[in-house]
Amino acid sequence: MGILQHFAECKSLVDYLKTLSNHVVDDLFGYPAACLAIFRELPKLAQNYVLRILYVEQAIPQAVISTWVSKAHVKEHSEAAEAISTLRVWKEVTMQGGLAGWMLDHKFRHNLKVALLGGGKQWTKSTNLDQDSKPRTVKDLDLYALERWEAMLHFLTEKQQKSDTVSKDTIMTLTHAGLMEQDENNAPSITNEGFQFLLLDTASQVWYFIVKYLETVEQRGLSTAECLAFLFSLSFATLGRDYGTEGFEDNMQQFMQHLREFGLIYQRTRKAGRFYPTRLALNLASRNNKISLDTEKHKTGFIVVETNYRLYAYTDSDLQLALVGMFTDFLFRFPNLVVGVITRDSIRQALRSGISAEQIISFLKMHAHYEMIKTAHINNPLPPTVVDQIRLWEMERNRLTFTDSVLYNQFLSHRDYEVVRDYAQETGVLLHGSDQKRTIVVKGSGHDDVKRFWKRHSKNSS
Amino acid sequence: MGGGSRRSKKRMRGEMEDYYEEEEEEDDGTGQEFVPGAAKRDAEEGDVNEAPEDEYGAKDYRSQMALKPDHESRPIWIAPNGHIFLEAFSPVYKHAHDFLIAIAEPVCRPEHIHEYKLTAYSLYAAVSVGLQTEDIIEYLTRLSKTAIPGGIIEFIRLCTVSYGKVKLVLKQNKYFVESSHPDVLQKLLKDPVIQQCRLRRSDDDNALEESSIKKTSGAAALNSAFSAGGADPSRSGNPSDDPTAGNEGGNDAAVPTDITDFYSKIDAEEDDEEEQKVVSFEVNQEKIEVIQKRCIQLEYPLLAEYDFRNDTRNPDINIDLKPSAILRPYQEKSLRKMFGNGRARSGVIVLPCGAGKSLTGVTACCTVRKRAIVLCNSGVSVEQWKQQFKLWSTADDAIICRFTSDAKDKPMGCSILVTTYSMITHTQKRSWEAEQTMKWLQEQEWGIMLLDEVHSIPAKMFRKVLTMVQAHCKLGLTATLVREDDKIADLNFLIGPKLYEANWLELSKNGFIAKVQCAEVWCPMSPEFYGSYLNMKISKKLLLCVMNPNKFRACQFLIRYHERRSDKIIVFSDNVFALKHYAHKLGKPFIYGPTSQQERLQIIQNFKFNPKINTVFVSKVADTSFDLPEANVLIQISSHGGSRRQEAQRLGRILRAKKGAVAEEYNAFFYTLVSEDTLEMSYSRKRQRFLVNQGYSYKVVTKMAGMEQEDLHYKSKEEQMALLQQVLAASDADADEERLPGEGPARAGGSGGSFGRRYGALSSLSGADDAVYREYKKSSSNPYGKHPLFKKFRTK
Repeated sequence: MGILQHFAECKSLVDYLKTLSNHVVDDLFGYPAACLAIFRELPKLAQNYVLRILYVEQAIPQAVISTWVSKAHVKEHSEAAEAISTLRVWKEVTMQGGLAGWMLDHKFRHNLKVALLGGGKQWTKSTNLDQDSKPRTVKDLDLYALERWEAMLHFLTEKQQKSDTVSKDTIMTLTHAGLMEQDENNAPSITNEGFQFLLLDTASQVWYFIVKYLETVEQRGLSTAECLAFLFSLSFATLGRDYGTEGFEDNMQQFMQHLREFGLIYQRTRKAGRFYPTRLALNLASRNNKISLDTEKHKTGFIVVETNYRLYAYTDSDLQLALVGMFTDFLFRFPNLVVGVITRDSIRQALRSGISAEQIISFLKMHAHYEMIKTAHINNPLPPTVVDQIRLWEMERNRLTFTDSVLYNQFLSHRDYEVVRDYAQETGVLLHGSDQKRTIVVKGSGHDDVKRFWKRHSKNSS
Repeated sequence: MGGGSRRSKKRMRGEMEDYYEEEEEEDDGTGQEFVPGAAKRDAEEGDVNEAPEDEYGAKDYRSQMALKPDHESRPIWIAPNGHIFLEAFSPVYKHAHDFLIAIAEPVCRPEHIHEYKLTAYSLYAAVSVGLQTEDIIEYLTRLSKTAIPGGIIEFIRLCTVSYGKVKLVLKQNKYFVESSHPDVLQKLLKDPVIQQCRLRRSDDDNALEESSIKKTSGAAALNSAFSAGGADPSRSGNPSDDPTAGNEGGNDAAVPTDITDFYSKIDAEEDDEEEQKVVSFEVNQEKIEVIQKRCIQLEYPLLAEYDFRNDTRNPDINIDLKPSAILRPYQEKSLRKMFGNGRARSGVIVLPCGAGKSLTGVTACCTVRKRAIVLCNSGVSVEQWKQQFKLWSTADDAIICRFTSDAKDKPMGCSILVTTYSMITHTQKRSWEAEQTMKWLQEQEWGIMLLDEVHSIPAKMFRKVLTMVQAHCKLGLTATLVREDDKIADLNFLIGPKLYEANWLELSKNGFIAKVQCAEVWCPMSPEFYGSYLNMKISKKLLLCVMNPNKFRACQFLIRYHERRSDKIIVFSDNVFALKHYAHKLGKPFIYGPTSQQERLQIIQNFKFNPKINTVFVSKVADTSFDLPEANVLIQISSHGGSRRQEAQRLGRILRAKKGAVAEEYNAFFYTLVSEDTLEMSYSRKRQRFLVNQGYSYKVVTKMAGMEQEDLHYKSKEEQMALLQQVLAASDADADEERLPGEGPARAGGSGGSFGRRYGALSSLSGADDAVYREYKKSSSNPYGKHPLFKKFRTK
């Protein structure tokens, strides 16, 4: 299974929450920040429903709720109700008199109120934190986040892994996510999924990685719900502000060290007593309004693609080269430039390893050189012909359609052949018949029927 | 017929690929002696064992070159194998581009990064326009982002050391071998063959003549032509003032000063008047050929230069440019290369079709102002050249003469003669009058010979022309310096080096040529056609591709669509059967080989001026120099295999910039209809290579919106089946492409040759085929020699 399918399963927060088991969700509802985050993800109409029944401490008949919208919007209504149900925010109950009703989850109701109206306890004890003697600017944080994240990506692509750049926990997550696997020397090496992972944009990468990481936290003795709730809290934090670490349990301190390694939060030292969330963490729960990392170091545009399928990459980074090399044949290498060409073969090679044309195109778009963006039409820095061609190359792989079928041959006489062929044609299961070779191909679904007919026929004629 | 026919049969069965790619060319090996040994060197060779491969299989040059600290402001990389990459967005692009085009061959020039290649030929061209070895190396070093690989410097030295040192000059009607390097001349004189060629006025005249010549600038020479014509030279501007250079000013800060300094130094050198010491010796006029050949063997090829202003023996002709003729910047730049030092150099100028090649040619003639002969490759283009001369210059009917079998002009004694290649090389019996003209023509010393569409003429034909007609300076004009057989290199030494090659993309950006949208339309084969396609032999296969009903429908749809927009459409088909069928079915006029000259002109006139005739079907006779300036849509339904040249030439038919159509993004359309899953697909890819490297991009169209609603032919299965029967019933000769006189087997000579690659059906041989009958009848009025079929009957 390609990473695309994996990724599709947990593409959005809602999708991810669906995959969680009931008790994790139940635990999650114990945290106000989590409830608020979930509430935010609901469709507008569903939010309205939740707010309307927030203070109704009993089940509401479904019929009542459906009267809140006019007949013309039944579709929106059912979508909203469905969304609330799948997130387990309300449960279906049978009311007195056999009426079907909905009942808001008790914990959710309570904690959403806390989140909306205030109250409860603070998630960090930051209020009595004194001024940081060396405050970090937003730029510093971006730099740090990117550096950490790229260190991990580098680790993924390196041929000879030097495991001192990343911790065992990271390696474990990478292997768990199927991005790396143990080779014969027992050293981790990148998989095809890993390459596809690298082609994603940073926000998607972080999300996917964290989701996979959360799947492993139980093994480390952490609670999924608690970690998730902490991440939700982080996403409500302010960029460039510091928060105190005081009051967190040991297991959460451990979790924070992991986040620190991935670049989601910044801590000067382990014992600093304060941390800064970075943009990576902030983007996590609010993926709809992505804020991109803007640092000078991060040279996004290094690829020039020409209409003659030439590709020039201004880079000497092995990571970037490895990525571009997945779908490009390189011709020459200069100290700061690589000259390559996109060919049918090179693209097919990439497609074979499970990368989609869309991924390649979005990668090229993401890293298009400044000069290409400058001269291009809106939103499309790439030459349209090259984009079209890459798509066509992908499409040409899908030109064959497969049908389960059964082959009949070695008919003794032409008469027999004709009888069976005609029967198959009448019943509409004939796919192919060759008079010269006396062979018939019928659809798999029609096989039994044709077989029965043939038995009957041969019995009759004998 | 023995050997010849056996060989051609073999070729016939040979791979179709070759059949379609190769241009027919019999090379008897004599071509080699025109090419000096150094020209065969290739920069790639030096590179093979040096460059290690990196983990991706690319050549890794990182170890061979160090990046300069200020590399970001320098525009080029040079690979040890001679490939040069140039950033088109660099602030010094303009300088670098001018320089690179002089010393290297452009490989591809799309939008952002251009690739060039250093070759022996390109370096030969560079020295022949006056660049010095050390200057080339020095300037390359300054432009490069990295240190230049040692192999490249060596290669440049090797290729340029002996080239361009010796010139053959005609002064006061005496031939001199001239050089500014006395040692080189001494060396040459030690050769016994050259000694024999030397002309001694007296027995003891052994010393070299020393003289100092005053070099006048090329600009001055050109300008004299302008001022004589009444045009103001400043209006046409200095090449460095052209529009693209305008934006340089602001960016100057980023440019390392050494680049700009050096460039202006080179520029100045080229233009400055200066005194130069040269040594020379006179050559016996009869031995010119011998000495030229010998010098090439000694690796000192003689550059032919014509000091036309000091030539008193040949009378000046009275011709000037009209004041209305204004040269575009690139036209002037190319001419400056030709008249760089006040003399006329021989060489080839490469400009895209429609970019004003004729004006360039006319201006060259007006500058030389000596007797001129213009060679082109069809009767129609003879007419067009005559018109061009009348349009741009003061020449009138009295001094321009056509020499074709049609024209009734009296060429004897005229000043400008326009004729065709085949007219000159004609071997069969001529009329008495033509015989006299030929005799006269051969006796003349022509000042300048213009060779139109040089790339299309086989080297053998060239050599014949060049030995028959004596001209002091030869200027080749072409749009595409590509040949599928790569014999283009011979031109370098037959005519001269490439003097200038324009950048297509830049010209179209500046509006000098039309902006063309190229599209490849994929037409699915109908199942019945595809079934027959798979079971047919190759020539029939191609016919089936062309006659694919879906292609027909696409063609009809496109014609309707563009006729509604009141566009003018040309439809190309190499296949005569298809051409006729399409044209008849759609009720459009068509032109092909056997169409008489008169009928052609009539159709063209109608196409130009009659608002009811918006579409014309043509066979490949219209590929070159067939001027239809009104056309802006071109549909190609069948083509000559994978020929890149044909593709470029056809595109050229619609390149002439249209007036008043600037508002749109594209103002011309080039469609190629391809039957899906057939041979055509791979041919089409091959054909596109040249244009793609010029920066054109092809849009693949798999489905055309609105085609379903149109009422098109061949909608029903019955109609399609009827068409299939018609195609299957077509004779093999019909399935074949059209052969033009002077091309293919007919030209190959020898009795067996004319059987060539025809798939001889009995019916066509016996004349039962009506197509053959018609061709036979028309061939008597055919102005371009004999039709191949006619020949066939004769040789039988």
